Amino acid sequence: MNDRVTEPVKQPVDAGSEIVWDGIARGYAPPEVLSISPRLRLQTAEDPEVDPISYEVIRNSLQNINLENGHTIQKLSISPITMINRDFQCAILTETGDVMFMGPYLMYLANTLGIMTKWVLENRGESPGIEDGDVFLCSDPYVGSSHQQDTELTSPVFWKDELFCWVANSVHYSDVGGPAPGSFCLSSQTIWEDPPLFPPMKLVERGALRADMEQLYLRQSRVPATVAMDLHAALAGITVSRQRILKLLERYGAETVKAVMKRTLDAGELAFVEKLRLIPDGRWSERIYTEAALPGDTGIYVSQVNITKEGDYLTVDNEGTSPQVGSINNTYAGFVGGVLAPLTLMLAYDLGGVCGGVSRRVKFRPTPGTITCADYPAPISGAGVCNMPMVVSTATGATAKMVACADPPLRDKALGIADVHAYGGWIFNGINQHGQFFMAMHSGMAPGAIPASPGRDGIDTGGQDWVPGMEASNVEDNEMSWPVLTLFRRENKADAAGAGRYRSGVGAEEAWIIHRTDSLDTQVYNNESFAKCQGLLGGNPGGRAFFRVKRDTDVAARLAAGTVPQSVDEVTGEEIPLFWKGRPVELDVGSMWTLNFPNLAGYGDPLDREPAAVGRDLSEGKISVEDAFEVYGVVAVADGIGAGLKWMVDAEKTDEERAERRRRRLEDSRPAVEAHGLVEPLDGSERRAIGDRLGTVWTSHGARYACTCGQDLGPVQVDLKDSCRLRESPVDSIGRGYESFAKDIADKMCFREFYCPLCGARLATEVARREDDQLWDIELRL
Amino acid sequence: MAYYIGVDGGGTFTDCAAMDESGRLYFAKAATTKEDFAVGMFDALSALADECGTTVAGLIASAERFNLGTTVGTNLLVERRGARTGLLATAGHGDSILIMRGTGRTAGLELDLLFHPQATQKPVPLVPRALIREIHERIDCMGEEVVPLDEEAVEAAVRGLVNDAGATAIAIAFLWSFKNPAHELRAQEIVRKVAPEVYVSCSHQVAPRMGEYERTVATVINSYVAPASAAYFRRAADRLHESGLRHPLLIMQISGGVLPAEKAVEIPLTSLGSGPVGGLMGSLSLARGLGHKNIIATDMGGTSFEVGLIINSEPLVGEEKIIDQYRYKIPQLETTSIACGGGSIARVDPFSRSIRVGPESAGADPGPVCYGRGGTEPTVTDADVTLGLLSAERFLGGRMPLDREGALRAIAGLGEQIGLGPEETAAGILRINNTRAAELIRQQTVVRGYDPRDFVVYAYGGAGPLHAFAFAQELGVKGVVIPLGNGASTLSAYGCSTSNLVLNIERERVLFAPFPVDELNTLLVELEKQALDSMRELGKSGEEVEIERYGLMRYSGQWLHSLLVHIPPGDLTVDAIGGVVNDFRSMYDALYGQGAGVVSQGVELVTTRVHAVVRLQRPAQAVEKAFKKSVSAAGRLGTREIFWPDRMERLESEVFDGREIRYGNRIAGPAVVELPYTSVAVGVEQMLECDAFGNFLLRLEQPSARVSTYTAAHGPAGGSSS
Repeated sequence: MNDRVTEPVKQPVDAGSEIVWDGIARGYAPPEVLSISPRLRLQTAEDPEVDPISYEVIRNSLQNINLENGHTIQKLSISPITMINRDFQCAILTETGDVMFMGPYLMYLANTLGIMTKWVLENRGESPGIEDGDVFLCSDPYVGSSHQQDTELTSPVFWKDELFCWVANSVHYSDVGGPAPGSFCLSSQTIWEDPPLFPPMKLVERGALRADMEQLYLRQSRVPATVAMDLHAALAGITVSRQRILKLLERYGAETVKAVMKRTLDAGELAFVEKLRLIPDGRWSERIYTEAALPGDTGIYVSQVNITKEGDYLTVDNEGTSPQVGSINNTYAGFVGGVLAPLTLMLAYDLGGVCGGVSRRVKFRPTPGTITCADYPAPISGAGVCNMPMVVSTATGATAKMVACADPPLRDKALGIADVHAYGGWIFNGINQHGQFFMAMHSGMAPGAIPASPGRDGIDTGGQDWVPGMEASNVEDNEMSWPVLTLFRRENKADAAGAGRYRSGVGAEEAWIIHRTDSLDTQVYNNESFAKCQGLLGGNPGGRAFFRVKRDTDVAARLAAGTVPQSVDEVTGEEIPLFWKGRPVELDVGSMWTLNFPNLAGYGDPLDREPAAVGRDLSEGKISVEDAFEVYGVVAVADGIGAGLKWMVDAEKTDEERAERRRRRLEDSRPAVEAHGLVEPLDGSERRAIGDRLGTVWTSHGARYACTCGQDLGPVQVDLKDSCRLRESPVDSIGRGYESFAKDIADKMCFREFYCPLCGARLATEVARREDDQLWDIELRL
Repeated sequence: MAYYIGVDGGGTFTDCAAMDESGRLYFAKAATTKEDFAVGMFDALSALADECGTTVAGLIASAERFNLGTTVGTNLLVERRGARTGLLATAGHGDSILIMRGTGRTAGLELDLLFHPQATQKPVPLVPRALIREIHERIDCMGEEVVPLDEEAVEAAVRGLVNDAGATAIAIAFLWSFKNPAHELRAQEIVRKVAPEVYVSCSHQVAPRMGEYERTVATVINSYVAPASAAYFRRAADRLHESGLRHPLLIMQISGGVLPAEKAVEIPLTSLGSGPVGGLMGSLSLARGLGHKNIIATDMGGTSFEVGLIINSEPLVGEEKIIDQYRYKIPQLETTSIACGGGSIARVDPFSRSIRVGPESAGADPGPVCYGRGGTEPTVTDADVTLGLLSAERFLGGRMPLDREGALRAIAGLGEQIGLGPEETAAGILRINNTRAAELIRQQTVVRGYDPRDFVVYAYGGAGPLHAFAFAQELGVKGVVIPLGNGASTLSAYGCSTSNLVLNIERERVLFAPFPVDELNTLLVELEKQALDSMRELGKSGEEVEIERYGLMRYSGQWLHSLLVHIPPGDLTVDAIGGVVNDFRSMYDALYGQGAGVVSQGVELVTTRVHAVVRLQRPAQAVEKAFKKSVSAAGRLGTREIFWPDRMERLESEVFDGREIRYGNRIAGPAVVELPYTSVAVGVEQMLECDAFGNFLLRLEQPSARVSTYTAAHGPAGGSSS
């Protein structure tokens, strides 16, 4: 399969002509003021005097109405990815398409509904017109969706001939056409090799479903019956929420309800601004690498997100991101949605899904023609697994660093990177045990893990923070629908992957064999060449997601002999090399494969972890005594045997070991570029903490970074990493959980650790391409 | 005199209800004693005996029936005081109960928490990893054996769990056991041989439903609560028999029925969470007399608001339960609850300058500010006191004077932050709380395709009767019943006493429409036989057993959705089966809109269920003969000023002693009827009437009247009481 190296074709971007953000040549970026057909009358009047009680009563109702849209989709849809994994979103929007509420589903989709609805307002008012009872369908990522499979519906709600608001949802449909089953076309180099694009079209006209439009959409799919059920579920969701909004308008009047909608957004904005005021001005960055733009390609590509905070506003750009290439692209809508998700999680966690207020304070300035803001005709279908998790993760890293610089209590809301791992996506098809063609998208990330925060460990298999309602399907559900047998599904160990002062929650691994069929075709699988999930403020990166296949194994013989294999390493057979974004792979009888969703980002220096916390993990069997020592420098001795086994931490030896490690760090690392002595704070000036070890102090030379040990780490205007000692090592040698099979790709990368030159504390880490400079990721403007 | 007794050993109080052979009802309650439940139960029985004019011994000896509802299982679980439980799982799947399908952090939580990862955590494990043993064995989705059971490993695991790890209960949950239980049964035999003293349950017996996580949870919870529940049921039975009880003690089940204690100890999971079911069954029993077919049964207490539905005289059956973020599947009378009650805390949202009520609750301790036990944040109950709806002097029959000044101060403090006076603030808090209650009801009804206007609200629980006047009006329901008036606070105990023997026997086997006639008929006959055999073991003959048959049906692939469809009796023909499928399709369209279903999509029957009932005879409730329109002088306690939140004005309102309200008495709002454990508010233009059974019927104002009065209320003259 990956036998030759493919150089992806650079896509044509017509630099000569003036490209506008119109949703055709370039992703649609809505203007501040929309240009709307005068035929369309908007309801904008507000009751200026809604009392605080009516406000709360109506707000509560609107929130519940939006949830009903989601519950309906969840109940009536039949694709596991939608009904179980919650790969959908629903929203109520103002008359001009501002998202008011989103539901506890896939967060990055919420804002794409706003962008798409605004495009409809600007472009469909005259022809075919926007009328009561209409529902528009859109699967064009240049207009609004995140990729073609996330097809979106938006429907205007009219009150007395005026457009009052919109209700919308976005659902992942199993197959929307294109050359690859499941529609993730990882070999596409242009949009013409991708599934078709449907710019907004009228699926329902004045309340009547248009058979022609429905068939046009379903006709593209390999599984039209499944898509039809899901589409009807989505339509039922729209109907339910529209009807309930109309009841609300009857009861309270349009002007009152509109006032509540606007005030809810205003309140969300205020709450967001209040949090921003706890953060100093500055610029924060994250950089995440990925391999391969096409099957066989060994290139390395970069996603970067930079957040600049100035006063009460944020500006977000993607400077540093690779030019658009191969099949790993997303459009403007995806970028904006992906950035808003972590901003909402860390800075609007208390708003119950009101995200519209947040977006008012964020300006987006992505560079077009890049992989995270691609221009036409870049193919987009792969974005769901290749890009969107990467964009969310990159934005999460930048946001977390920014939040870690805030005053308490906001500082503790920083949350490490959750998922760069392509949904743990495994997409496959074949003939099932009932003799029918099937198409499956299995989300290995669904058991999830919550990454570490400053102040607490993450949560083992704690689901996904950016898809709050996500669930993993039962093994029995899978085995009923698909011709497979799951040999095991178990939690990972809390090993080096995701270690830190606070560790990440652990992920999970599953192993499968074929059962009751001859073979399966695997379209998408994620076998990462190197770990990508950057650690937070000195924490270890998350582990490497993998998908390993062994062929011609002795699994059948083992089962017949009475044991169920519990590791792919214990069975015989030949492991075949697989690369992330590789070609489809056939799995046959005798194959065994495992899918690992790894531990996520750790926070802070592992040598600073409470030894007692390591002891607890030891006693609960979550870490081996070897890793406790290797990763954390904790010396523990066994006490008792069998089920009564407890581990006792030897505090004294642990202290000695850790001191020795810190000393060795200083020996084994490169000196700092900038050498400083002890910092000399001005009398009475307050130290601002950044995480645990880092901080800023005011000196007679202005504000400077400093370690808690007293080491001066330079002026805040300069990258503090310049004042640290640096150790660079192979990316696959960090510890258990990072080993790579793809030597040639992994060798292009390295792991960098930045130490305080005085005490040896690890202040920062990064996984980086060897040839790239260190990332200047924290720049305070005090 | 013979008595039919029901006891609900629920929360703070142990409630009792009895009906004598003439059909007269008696109620009593006493504080629950956590250390030894029997003490509280006998205290309550003693109070009940006083009401009946007999002694405890006399009462118990003359009991024709004794039904007990209890929350002992729930308490064991929530407080993690259950048995040290070991789990035997299929090799490779022991982590299922730890992974919790990735939902352990969020299942059952309020929406606001879902966007706040740092505010969420998984529950303390019911079975720690050290007590999970994986066994090599495997059955596949067709029920065929892939790997035989490693019996030696089972024996070693059991020895290890019991001897080394100290397990006192064992749960066995293997993959696909509901398709083929052979491995679970064999493992169970081994457990019984190796450790006969240890309680053991199997997943195919406890919850024979697809989905290993939910089935494992059900089995683990069952084993976890079993030893203590069994001890409790037996101790209660022994004590009652020692005191002269001549009949088996019957234990309330979440199915809405009862089972003899000796049967209930086999699978205690079916009695876990039966508390709310008692109230629902009480409502159902009374509804027959009142001719109500569609009922919204509501129980508002200190922290939560529970809603159950009765549709066409049948309580709605739910399939799933979440306790402490653990989810499992079990057929049960469905009740849904939100954190919304007297203890719900009101706070100002600084950004929208509005008030939020709940979900945080002051609970019973410290409780509302007015309890004077250290609570500082204003609650719904404080708002009630501020408005005058609750009397500070006569709360709980005067046994617990409230700190009215404290409540007022807290409410005023909250109002100042947003520029509202204390009464406006308190009224606002009630309005928000009532809307939340109404919203939950609306969701439960509208989402299922029902219109709340076709329903009557039954309001009980400590805070329900006081707030029903507003949330029921908000919903536009037909009317409100305060069931049994004075007995509303012990409705659950009354409901227990009215319950019949019920067994649900079900089998999960997916059949695709048109279902194979023979297979379905055979399955139904098997399930019916099982139900009849079990009833026979309980001493009931076949003629006494009424059987209803149901199928859980869905469109193929809808794992999260199913509709309960009635299956006609007798040997099914192809036509009859076609009728069942059509029933499903029309129910679906009725619920989700015409054309919501896709005609080409297949229909499947997932679970087949036999519901067996033996009706336990008891006298009809006595009917009061003497009809008297006006309340006696003893029942009139004078007037007080109450600020009515729906009118936003202070009105002179009459106050009544609920114990003196008799058949035919009519009370026009605005008024408050005070009862020993709750109060009933009668709003402006509402009318309360006591019926011959002792129920208080609250007639709501007509919607048309409401509009005009509402306008008037905003004018200078204000509304007037009728």
